[in-house]
Amino acid sequence: MSNKPLSLEEQLKVNDLTVRFYTYEGIVKAVEKASLKIRKGETLGIVGETGSGKSVTALTILALTPSPGRVEDGNILFRKRDSSVIDILRMNEHQLLQIRGKEISMIFQEPNAALDPVCKVGEQITEAILAHRLREMVEKSIEVIKKEKDNEYDLWTRLETWTYKEMLNNPSDVRLKIIQKIPIIRDITKRRLRQVIRQEIVELLKLMEIPDPGRVIDAYPHELSGGMQQRIVIAIALACSPLLLIADEPTTNLDVTVQAQILDLINRLKEKFGSSIIYITHDMGVVAEISDRVAVMYAGSVVEVAPVKELFRNPLHPYTKGLLESIPRPGSPLKSIPGTVPNLVDPPSGCRFHPRCAYMMNKCKEIMPRLVKVSEDHYVACLLYEGESDD
Amino acid sequence: MTNIIYTKDLVKYFPVKSGLFGRKIGDVKAVDRVTISVRKEETLGLVGESGCGKTTLAKTLIRLYKPDAGQIFFDPEGKIPDTPLIQSHDGILEIAKIEGAKLRSLRRFMQIVYQNPTTSLNPRMLVKDIVAEPLIVQGICKGAEAEARVLEILEKVGLGREHLYRYPHEFSGGQKQRIAIARALITNPSFVILDEPTSSVDVSVRASLLELFKEMQKKMNLTYLFISHDLSIIEAISDRIAVMYLGKVVELAETKEIFNNPLHPYTQALFSAIPVPDPESKRKRILLPGEPPSPVNPPIGCRFHPRCLYAMEICKQVEPKLVEVRPKHLVACHLY
Amino acid sequence: MIRWIKIEESPRLKETKFILNRIRENPLSLVGLAIVISFAVIAIFAHILAPPPPGRDPYIIPRAGYFPEPQPPSPEHAFGTTQGQYDLYYGIIWGTRAAYRIGVLVVAMSAFIGIAVGSLAGYYKGVIDEVLMRLTDIILAFPSLILAMALVVAFGPGLDSITLALILVGWPGYARLVRGEFLRISAEDFVEAAKTIGCSNLRIIIRHILPNAIFPLLVYASLDIGSIILVAAALSFLGLGPPEGYADWGQLISLSRNWITGTAANPFAYWHVYTIPGVFLFLFVMGWNLLGDALRDVLDPMLRRR
Repeated sequence: MSNKPLSLEEQLKVNDLTVRFYTYEGIVKAVEKASLKIRKGETLGIVGETGSGKSVTALTILALTPSPGRVEDGNILFRKRDSSVIDILRMNEHQLLQIRGKEISMIFQEPNAALDPVCKVGEQITEAILAHRLREMVEKSIEVIKKEKDNEYDLWTRLETWTYKEMLNNPSDVRLKIIQKIPIIRDITKRRLRQVIRQEIVELLKLMEIPDPGRVIDAYPHELSGGMQQRIVIAIALACSPLLLIADEPTTNLDVTVQAQILDLINRLKEKFGSSIIYITHDMGVVAEISDRVAVMYAGSVVEVAPVKELFRNPLHPYTKGLLESIPRPGSPLKSIPGTVPNLVDPPSGCRFHPRCAYMMNKCKEIMPRLVKVSEDHYVACLLYEGESDD
Repeated sequence: MTNIIYTKDLVKYFPVKSGLFGRKIGDVKAVDRVTISVRKEETLGLVGESGCGKTTLAKTLIRLYKPDAGQIFFDPEGKIPDTPLIQSHDGILEIAKIEGAKLRSLRRFMQIVYQNPTTSLNPRMLVKDIVAEPLIVQGICKGAEAEARVLEILEKVGLGREHLYRYPHEFSGGQKQRIAIARALITNPSFVILDEPTSSVDVSVRASLLELFKEMQKKMNLTYLFISHDLSIIEAISDRIAVMYLGKVVELAETKEIFNNPLHPYTQALFSAIPVPDPESKRKRILLPGEPPSPVNPPIGCRFHPRCLYAMEICKQVEPKLVEVRPKHLVACHLY
Repeated sequence: MIRWIKIEESPRLKETKFILNRIRENPLSLVGLAIVISFAVIAIFAHILAPPPPGRDPYIIPRAGYFPEPQPPSPEHAFGTTQGQYDLYYGIIWGTRAAYRIGVLVVAMSAFIGIAVGSLAGYYKGVIDEVLMRLTDIILAFPSLILAMALVVAFGPGLDSITLALILVGWPGYARLVRGEFLRISAEDFVEAAKTIGCSNLRIIIRHILPNAIFPLLVYASLDIGSIILVAAALSFLGLGPPEGYADWGQLISLSRNWITGTAANPFAYWHVYTIPGVFLFLFVMGWNLLGDALRDVLDPMLRRR
């Protein structure tokens, strides 16, 4: 996978991404020449252990690389709703705001941290909707007013209609701005907009299979259980039907029976919204259930990418093999990969897996392997397969 | 078959306090009348979701918590018969109420390995001091003799002399856990609680830890109580499995039996909820409605009935008892 | 030889090196450290820098006559003389030693009491915690300077009374800090692990919790020394200090009280009497504060790194 442009069926492509962290203890080479692509409407599972760079990669896709990290190299091509292709790493902060939440959104591991504890659930979802779908909501409100014919000559209704039209056609109008500043008038002139948004939220919460959405809208996050909170986070993420949803271990802190509910929900929502999903996890079981394709990351590099069935049936990279063998299965002896995850301040030379690899060759210490295609849709970064075919 | 530890109607509540003057407003019923025994040299797996009281049960068994009611019989030799006892005799101690030095001297026989080795090792002590401390505190030996024993146990768990003079933060997660294991095993205990010992360790080294547990069990004749919510690990290591829900043991059977034939509706749902690392499996999943209720006010009757797919009238009123419905297979459910 | 290798890779040495490295990288902390060390040198070599007249208490400043008007710096008196012809240079040098004596003694004693009280309260919790913490609250409820004044008045003026009063006023801060650290640390697994191997409570407190609570204590103590010296100087300025002629910065400043306005012709005629002790006091307090701040910066990320 070299620096190729985005083909039509692809939603996102990460090319040779390199991220480094400048810490006191040295330069942490967190992500090194990682390449990924996500097709439209598919779920890409990213598996890896702690320190494999999977979360950093995901955050970088939103241009939210955690400090003191710096993107050193690479590009991230993303196809927007209007089919234009942009490089996320070369956007300014204002352009990014248009993309985050609307085109790409994210679910985090800890729903507690993602929700504002002093804000009601409804207000938080409203915020997400207003940020990107104001126009649509205002248009809906005008429709609502048109349907209630008998209020035609009511002064307030006329003012409300005027406000909405101004908001659509001329949002910088001075009169509109003044009205928006007066407390009571402001509320009256947006009455139907609020109702429309509330209706929208209730619909959204119903989609999330939340029982009693009316009560949940007016609840504070801490009044809800962990599973409920995660559903709210998903609702916020999906409020603008994003093209790409990044889920960073969203079920790790949940109970298994609740995890099953959430996985089930995500799978059904994907069908409904048609979004592409990047699902990050360290649990091979979850990956097997949710992904169409899987990317395996190790010590900052993508070492293998394949469709999920192919990966489980025919793992090629020694690390992937080891990872699959280390899942305890009754009756078969327990296996694990010798050694430990390397320190990324001073990673092994060449292939970063070579000190733990059973098939290590001399050249592995010197050459960093690149992802090569070994069969249809199956890529591996290992010198064992180098030269079989080149993409 | 004799048992190493046997507990009858064990109860542990944690008070919930609230308000300006810390008035008690209720109890978290973490462990509620649990009767369970751990056989000599077996591995008993304890599964359940967070908050079901599995860790509390384990910590009460080794008297890190003082039980509110019930009895705990403990015998390092593992000679407790299956029939219930009334009081201490023949070296079999009733430890539910003992305190102070008497309890401390028993500590060498029962140990625990925690989930997170980063917090369970004192960051300001050297590995040598951490591992040697049980020997010194228990008055077994000290000085050069202690150092020799530390070295011996470190080698058994896969570490060496070069690690003696280091602080825990210089080690990886798996290695830290090995240090914690060495500390737990240095006094030759007979009963060891493993509280999710692999869940904060990287996937690729998880299996080697499990292998180590098995090896140590054989070498040192250990009895394990293995707590986990990861069923694949539990299945790989346990001889018997107990399933807990809201402070109660709802099912107890041998590993093969419980996996092939789970009887309690909760066990069935729990087992089916675990993601299987096989994209081609065509397993039907039982999705439970709702989430576990708060252990402060558990439902009346069977605690599982609000989420149970087979709930009957009787389930809402009568709490089911743990009874043997098949040979060596105990279930607490009105269906059986 | 084997011993040698061990020292080479000793983790404690590595840690000390790490701390020193961090201090070296922060210029302000270097300034603080330099000030504190130079004051320490002055205090240690006071005998050589300002040899006391034989056969007398070295803390009593020698005087050159009884003339009331302060004299400007001259070859005999490097910093000039104060009201009543006390040698300012001698007073500053021996005052440094007095300041160190008060600062270190007060901090050591209040930290000791604070650790004892705070660790009991934080470890045993419950009733013991309530009783001990309400006691500290009572002391903290008074403005500390006023309480210290009242105590000094009760004990009778003098440097020893000031020390004792400052200890009695200062320990609740340490107790609070230590209690908080104990509450935090005793919830950690390794404390419970220590119980499971049969450690006694005393051993847990001393071997397991206290070493982990020591860094915040160190930071607090170094910030505290500065303010203790300020309060001691204030008490001494107010006349609650040692008898006149004792080498004590507060008293030197107090001696300048009548000469601040200067003469009608030259308002700065007696500049040296208030500037010199003031600058020394200021530098001393600032040095400790800079050092304390630096320690906080250095030690905090290290705690996080664990």
